[in-house]
Amino acid sequence: MFATYLNSLHESMSRRVALVLFGVAILVAVAFNAVVHVRTLADGATTIVVGTQSPAPPVIAVPSVLESDLRATGSLWLLLAIFAAAPLLTATLEKGWLELTFSKGTARWRIFLGRFVASLTLYSMTFVVATLPVALRLWWMTGIGTWQVGVALVIQTFSFAALLAVTALVTLPQKGVALPIIASVAIWLLSPSLAMRQETFYRIFSSHLARGIVDWAYRILPKCSELEDLCVSFIQGGAIASWWPIWSTGVFTLAVLGLTLWLLERKSF
Amino acid sequence: MTSPAIEVRDLEKTYRTFRGKTVSALQGVSLCVEPGTIFGLIGQNGAGKTTLIKILLGLATPTAGAARLLGSSPRDPAARRRVGYLPEQMRLPDYFQAENFLRYMGRLNGVDRAAMKQRIPALIERVGLADARGPVKAYSKGMQQRLGLAQALVNDPEVLFLDEPTDGLDPLGRKDVRDLLAQLRAEGKTIFLNSHLLSEIELVCDRIVILNKGEVARAATPEEFTRGTGEYLVRVAAADDAVRAATAAVAGHGAAQWEQNTLRFAPRDRAQLNSLLDRLRGVPVEIESVEPVRLSLEDFFLQVVSGQEP
Repeated sequence: MFATYLNSLHESMSRRVALVLFGVAILVAVAFNAVVHVRTLADGATTIVVGTQSPAPPVIAVPSVLESDLRATGSLWLLLAIFAAAPLLTATLEKGWLELTFSKGTARWRIFLGRFVASLTLYSMTFVVATLPVALRLWWMTGIGTWQVGVALVIQTFSFAALLAVTALVTLPQKGVALPIIASVAIWLLSPSLAMRQETFYRIFSSHLARGIVDWAYRILPKCSELEDLCVSFIQGGAIASWWPIWSTGVFTLAVLGLTLWLLERKSF
Repeated sequence: MTSPAIEVRDLEKTYRTFRGKTVSALQGVSLCVEPGTIFGLIGQNGAGKTTLIKILLGLATPTAGAARLLGSSPRDPAARRRVGYLPEQMRLPDYFQAENFLRYMGRLNGVDRAAMKQRIPALIERVGLADARGPVKAYSKGMQQRLGLAQALVNDPEVLFLDEPTDGLDPLGRKDVRDLLAQLRAEGKTIFLNSHLLSEIELVCDRIVILNKGEVARAATPEEFTRGTGEYLVRVAAADDAVRAATAAVAGHGAAQWEQNTLRFAPRDRAQLNSLLDRLRGVPVEIESVEPVRLSLEDFFLQVVSGQEP
């Protein structure tokens, strides 16, 4: 599995996918740092100015800046990384390559899982590059702890893992990269509407059955939007408001990934 | 008694199409490959050769029957670590260089780093890629095929599956592969060879199976396949009227046919053949050659697949 993991990272570099992601991450980090200014006033107090906004004391401004950083990059990064990671998974099953790798003395599920974990690594590493510099700079210059960003990054990676599991599952029954991307992006787009289903779907569907289906869809599918909200509230308050989105998304990820690996082992090529 | 390297019993594979139709790729296939031999599998396109290989490598699951690879199930990764495979259609990712491609293939087969450090340069030399440089995307088809052979050997396998190994190779490359196969057999390796080049199969294999419409049509040694037909070709310097008359007297008109200076003759027995030759010498005419007519593997194969099995 480790050989496949390293090979996948090598492949993502060679295909320029990782380079582009790192490039965009560096641009995002530079842009965010450029609009955040830390100034020391005449009385020695420190203030933070974000763009054209009024100066604010660090206690208020630091969480606000980190929250904006996560909100701005979180969704963008999920989408970018799905586009980048899907080809890594579909390439595993390309004709002429799968015959070479799956005929070797390593179980298929290990090969596929190696690529899955490499995709997660790619996502988390580039997301760290995009978001962490501003957090470290603010911590360095204001002394206010920004460790909450680390936890938020883990939660966001968790959200990405759920979408990637969907990508992996849809990779199995068909060739091509479009459908896996569409499936995971559709779930990501659906998650805020499902989270607020009383204001969205309930207005469309009046029957108990339809609402019941919507409720079950909400319960089963990953809660990407709620996890993003959780990151923000964690940065603001330093506590997890609700564990429900985390454990239910975890169960979904494990179930879908487990099903994918089980189907892959049984698949006849 | 040694156990077979490959054993297949009553193997069946049925595919189901989207419309619910079933297509039978293999029907009751049974075969046995002894260790240290070269086994040839031939058949038309769609005869089930690749399906059989895929089952033997754990890539496909049989609908019924059993396949054993080195005494284990082909689905067992530990068994596959002792096997090398060169697929017919191989896709090498562009970003690889020969060394790191072979290293990755070796790692998937559990070869340790120290062994690979020694083995990979030797393998590259052995398949004739010592002068190749740069990424594999710059390789010609023949070079990629040689690299494919190298990856099949990177784990020093006991059993080697080669699907069209000479595909894309020039005549010199084909000879190199034949020589390599002979060396591997001398090293005691079992080779399962699938090729459309019947002349090559005939040259190198110890045993051959013809697969036709998913069934084993014939299994024999190359000698058995290419046995004599009972006919002889007698070539003379000049077949004039006197020569033809002498032939007709011995052979009768039905059993002998002249084509320019060559007589195709099916004697009842060896005495009749000698009698014919004596008569020809008495004409007199110079006899240039006498040779028995043998079926080539290709002739035999064509007869089997067209339903005119000899």
